[in-house]
Amino acid sequence: MELESESEMLETYMERLSEIQDGEKYKQCLQCGTCGGSCPYGIVTKFTPRKMILAVRANIIDELLESGAQWLCTSCYSCSFRCPSQIPLTDGIIPAARELSLLEGNPPEELARALMNTARYGNPFKESPKKRDRWVKEVDFEIKTLADGPADVLFIPECFGAYHRRCKEVTKAMAEIFNRLGTDFAILGRDEKCIGDSNRLSGEFGLFEELVEKNIKAMEKNPFSRIVTIDAHAFHSLRSEYPRFGFSKPVLHHSEFLAENLETLKEMFSELEYIVTYHDSCYVGRRNGIYDAPRDVIRAIPGVEFVEMKRIKENALCCGGGGGGVWLDSFIKEFMKERPAEERVREAANTGADILVTSCILDIPMFEDALKMTGLEGQIVVKDICELVLEAIR
Amino acid sequence: MKICAILRTVPDLVEEIEVIDDEIEPFAYIANERDEHAVEEAVILKERYGGSVDVIGIVDEDSEEEIEEPLAMALAKGADRAIKLTMSNKSYRRIEQAKALAEYFKDKDYDLILTGIQGIDAFTGMLGPMLSVYMELPFTGYVTSVEAEDGTVKVQKELGGGLLGEFRVKLPAILGIVSAEKPLRFVPLAKLRQVMKKAEIEEDELEIPEFEGVQVVKYYEPEKPEIVLLEGEPEEVADKLIEAFKEIGVL
Repeated sequence: MELESESEMLETYMERLSEIQDGEKYKQCLQCGTCGGSCPYGIVTKFTPRKMILAVRANIIDELLESGAQWLCTSCYSCSFRCPSQIPLTDGIIPAARELSLLEGNPPEELARALMNTARYGNPFKESPKKRDRWVKEVDFEIKTLADGPADVLFIPECFGAYHRRCKEVTKAMAEIFNRLGTDFAILGRDEKCIGDSNRLSGEFGLFEELVEKNIKAMEKNPFSRIVTIDAHAFHSLRSEYPRFGFSKPVLHHSEFLAENLETLKEMFSELEYIVTYHDSCYVGRRNGIYDAPRDVIRAIPGVEFVEMKRIKENALCCGGGGGGVWLDSFIKEFMKERPAEERVREAANTGADILVTSCILDIPMFEDALKMTGLEGQIVVKDICELVLEAIR
Repeated sequence: MKICAILRTVPDLVEEIEVIDDEIEPFAYIANERDEHAVEEAVILKERYGGSVDVIGIVDEDSEEEIEEPLAMALAKGADRAIKLTMSNKSYRRIEQAKALAEYFKDKDYDLILTGIQGIDAFTGMLGPMLSVYMELPFTGYVTSVEAEDGTVKVQKELGGGLLGEFRVKLPAILGIVSAEKPLRFVPLAKLRQVMKKAEIEEDELEIPEFEGVQVVKYYEPEKPEIVLLEGEPEEVADKLIEAFKEIGVL
């Protein structure tokens, strides 16, 4: 059931764009090219966001899809952030083109598998939903689930935090911090499904909506006052996308939660002799404007020398993992010799830091892989901000 | 070309399965992956040469609901008809399924019957060959691509030792598909749900004969090997590894 003609394609595209907030702003595109100049893939793609809008205007979307440009996007939000016309490029122009690829039936294979697994199992890894809470057995204190009773904080580890071997360490570290702080927290456990931000940004809007419905239903089992998550994309989705579906609880990124509890933490801190640099993850920094909270936390640890990278805050370079990018590695390799994550770890190493602190769970596999690719492994270590904090309070 | 693809449901190994002596109790069923490739290849052939694709889903009373999504998926991909065939009694035995299917196919006049090369439940790779015997039609397995040529198909198939071979097969015929020519096409969830809502899935029965001679004694899982993760600095891990090798007598 492929889309029969170009006009049908354009119609489907426009219909989707009309459902995206400010979608009609594409008409205000000045063709200034700021987007392409800001894009980590701008140099290799045949269609930068500016040219994508041109392709829509000229009704040559098929050419755009053929080029694969719709998949050369990490949803890093640089283009949208800088766009003088404030066109929703990351949320609209690109995912709507991706949706056409999905309807044509031929997205990049690894991403297709991740999406199909998420539809069936609620996670991209083809793991059993029953194993989603296995990590709780790896900590030496009890963790309750929301189904068992109310809690102050609902902790969302999301898929990588629940299943990925390295990322689980971050989940456990955050749980241990809650425990040490005496926070009344619970998890959704097996009821938690993928929060879905990557699915939305990949153009799988139907799957995203189904995941939202299931997660909201699971959250209704018992009262809680707010969400804390270690996953920057889950954070963004829960905070900015879920409210469209009737969800209305405050959502905190874990760096905000740590900053909020900084006075208590300060009393627990012991000295760490590290030189630390911090990577502003796209959906914490550029997308949601959280620049100070993680820096304040890092600087508060005694002994730590904090150094900044060349590109910081709204200008930080993306790790390449967002918007399904973590499943597009082999696709992107066809276009680029060095991926953004490799460029970014070189930048981090140039500061002379021993630790590269991150605040998005996807940064960890992306950067650890990049350290191996660049030969920098051993020179600089990747740690999530909560792992650094836990080390300081142990 | 009038094509039929066979779609079997098998236990979903991602979810838990319970093994009780002579019963395997799966938590969920899923479409057999190789059969999904047979459906894909059938749709590819229809797109290339015209004709029609019927997909038959073989189920028993435990798996009959779970075939509906894979059948709707086949319709969403371009199949024309979806038929749910319920076995009169549950059987994993290919000889029984093949005899029953041969009877079912008698008046259907398919030019090509495609099946996945193997199902993970019986693990014999025998459905195609046995169907070929009962229907007295040619069969070739381990097929990776199919081209139509004047009442025949030229198929590419995998041989042992990494070799490939091309064979000409007279139609009507049965082919065992190892993988379709292209990756399985993607169907967005909204579209699948849409098709599921309005899909007309036909239903029929498959009269399973009984073949005596083989009886299940028991099913069981092999003993799991003990896994020890060696942790520490590389030198430390190397020392531990040498110790471990010495212990099991390789060093």
